Amino acid sequence: MPTAASWTSGWTGGWTEARRAVADVGHLVRFRTGTVRRRGSAAWFALGFVALTTAAAVVPAYTPGAGDDGRAFDLLLLLPTALAGFLGLAVVSAVASGGGRELLDRDPGAVLPVSPTTDHLGALLLAPLNIAWLLQAWTLLGTTAYALGPSGLAAAQVVVLLWLAVATALAQVVAWTFEGVRRGNHGIAGVRLVTLALLGLALGLQMADALVTVLDRLPTRRIVLGMLGGVSWTWAATIAALLVALVVAVALGAVPAYIAARRAPREEQRVESGRYTARRLPGSDLAALVRTDRGSVWRAVPMRRGIAVLAIGPGAVALLGDLPWSTMTVLPGLVASGGALLFGVNAWCLDARGGLWRESLPVPPGTVFTARAWVLAEFLVAASMVTVLLAAVRAGVPSSAELTALACTVVVVTVQVVGAGMRWSAQRPYAVDLRSARATPAPPLTMVGYSTRLAVSTTLTGLVFSGLARVPAWEVSVLVAVPFVCWSLARLVRARARWIDPVDRARVVMAVAG
Amino acid sequence: MTLPPDGHPVQVRDLHVRFGEVEAVTGVDLVAEAGHATALLGRNGAGKSTTMRVLAGVVPPTSGSVTVAGHDVRRDPLAVKRAVGYCPDVGGLVPRATPWEHLQLSARLRRMHRTEPGWEQRARDLLERFELGDVAHRVTAGFSHGMGRRLSVVLAVLHQPEVLLLDEPFDGVDPIGVEATMAAIDDARARGACVLVSTHLRELAVEACSTVTVLRGGTRVATASATEMSGEEGARAYRGLLD
Repeated sequence: MPTAASWTSGWTGGWTEARRAVADVGHLVRFRTGTVRRRGSAAWFALGFVALTTAAAVVPAYTPGAGDDGRAFDLLLLLPTALAGFLGLAVVSAVASGGGRELLDRDPGAVLPVSPTTDHLGALLLAPLNIAWLLQAWTLLGTTAYALGPSGLAAAQVVVLLWLAVATALAQVVAWTFEGVRRGNHGIAGVRLVTLALLGLALGLQMADALVTVLDRLPTRRIVLGMLGGVSWTWAATIAALLVALVVAVALGAVPAYIAARRAPREEQRVESGRYTARRLPGSDLAALVRTDRGSVWRAVPMRRGIAVLAIGPGAVALLGDLPWSTMTVLPGLVASGGALLFGVNAWCLDARGGLWRESLPVPPGTVFTARAWVLAEFLVAASMVTVLLAAVRAGVPSSAELTALACTVVVVTVQVVGAGMRWSAQRPYAVDLRSARATPAPPLTMVGYSTRLAVSTTLTGLVFSGLARVPAWEVSVLVAVPFVCWSLARLVRARARWIDPVDRARVVMAVAG
Repeated sequence: MTLPPDGHPVQVRDLHVRFGEVEAVTGVDLVAEAGHATALLGRNGAGKSTTMRVLAGVVPPTSGSVTVAGHDVRRDPLAVKRAVGYCPDVGGLVPRATPWEHLQLSARLRRMHRTEPGWEQRARDLLERFELGDVAHRVTAGFSHGMGRRLSVVLAVLHQPEVLLLDEPFDGVDPIGVEATMAAIDDARARGACVLVSTHLRELAVEACSTVTVLRGGTRVATASATEMSGEEGARAYRGLLD
């Protein structure tokens, strides 16, 4: 790899820096793809990605009702909001992850001359490897296809694809700016204030019945107008404007990226240099293990930031959208899946290099497993409860069937997600340092796989209980929940048996210890 | 301590450890005595750390017989873990727990609150001796490498184990830390514990231990007294054993 200026060398600016950064991204991508363990799976993933994207962009245009004046036209009217929604989601995701994912983890990357521009471009490249991004993108392509029908579809989808790129690049600019501010004096408080103000503004607009008016006047309307009528001068102008916006946003992102890189990550430093008051000795072995594991979770910046976004984000959207109790059952699955992706899919990485020492302690491995699964479960339930409580504010008084269905969903998805997380943690352990807000518990492609599987299973569960919430007899939800819980518990027990096996456990411990 | 008839707290016979295609230890034989410190010397990848992990009950042996403090590591790993104090070669610390929380966890799981009511004072003394008293309530993620090594030694010696396993305890440690570790090894020896020190630093190994076992390519190639392995002659002999 050629030597580029490191972040300590300062911004050199210009084409030389840009060319170097692009070349370095190429080197890092080649390095990362070289470390992919299962190349066959990666190839299938790429193929699946292209197939699904093509299907999402084309198939809805040939379904009954596509492009007509009924439901399709309603969707066309909602398209500007959907485009803006994608931007909002990309911003939240990038801000929560401290500027996006890293092509190279911080510690191994520290010895290499990776400039902030390279880091910025790498984060942009990795942004789509996120199930939330992918689902939103496919939904936008599908909605566009259905709303417009076959006529002029290709031209419209080019606009949508360009918008996806522009929104991701804009989100990256906002994320780096937030990260730069967060690392400044009183930055953490400042960022929290801005976030609260934005939430308050959205809530105020909703309370004043002005939210729909604002959404109707979003600038994304012009982009939708540019899609209509196939290839035309308006379309060409829209494409040109989006291309310019893309180049500007990508280039502009390097500036706050440099500012953020020059500042120390205060939130992480505060955790690492803070003093924690000594507490009394726990009353049992399990309590002692749970306390240690809780500390590992709640003292990690990515976990705290991630769970705050996951708990408050969907809850706030439900609050603004006035979600009814029967539909609220999709929320716990969404939050639990996201929570597991913060550490639960590689749960043993919490111990990192301390895993070897912990494994030398005289405690039955089953107790260690129970403690870890318990801490993961309470982490997910806590987040789900915050979301549900927020969503419940404007939902009125639920019927007993709605309340039971929601409670059953929380229990079922929690056991489902904990079971899946503990199983994957034993199957594919990774040595990961979760100190940085940008860290993820597994490589990007693996994370996409995990998130897809979690999203599918928990969403289907949520939909099942959404239907049951409309059944007057509340007992039905409980009866349906029993087989779900039993099945997931059986898988959790199998994961525990695997952990108890000394050979399997040694493999996991040595892998996470690095 | 329930010792076998010949009285050796650590007995390893024909130990093999395999990780998939890689055989990390290929037939190690080792005996260590109570009240003595034995050094495991060898190059990187010689099998020292894997042997220590087996003795600590962390990694199960693929084949061979391993007895620690009279307990078979395969049949009764929990009893082995109760008898052993282990300082791993890498890190060895939970990143977001404080030193005091590490000590509390170890004390709780070893029932020290019942068997040794004064364990907290001992823990505080050890932290002071290893110059970690000021950081006892800070998470270890912010520790330097040397601080981490010192704390790992403190955790290994806290419960005064019958068998003390120190894997690379001097790696990156300052002279004060080396002195404190040497003192901890002497204390353990004096109270009759069996001490095993794995290191690639021959000078420190012969200073801390009375016997030296050299491993190469996952096998024991020699066992000698520390005197034979010290000085320039010892250095030449050691060099010869490595090739």
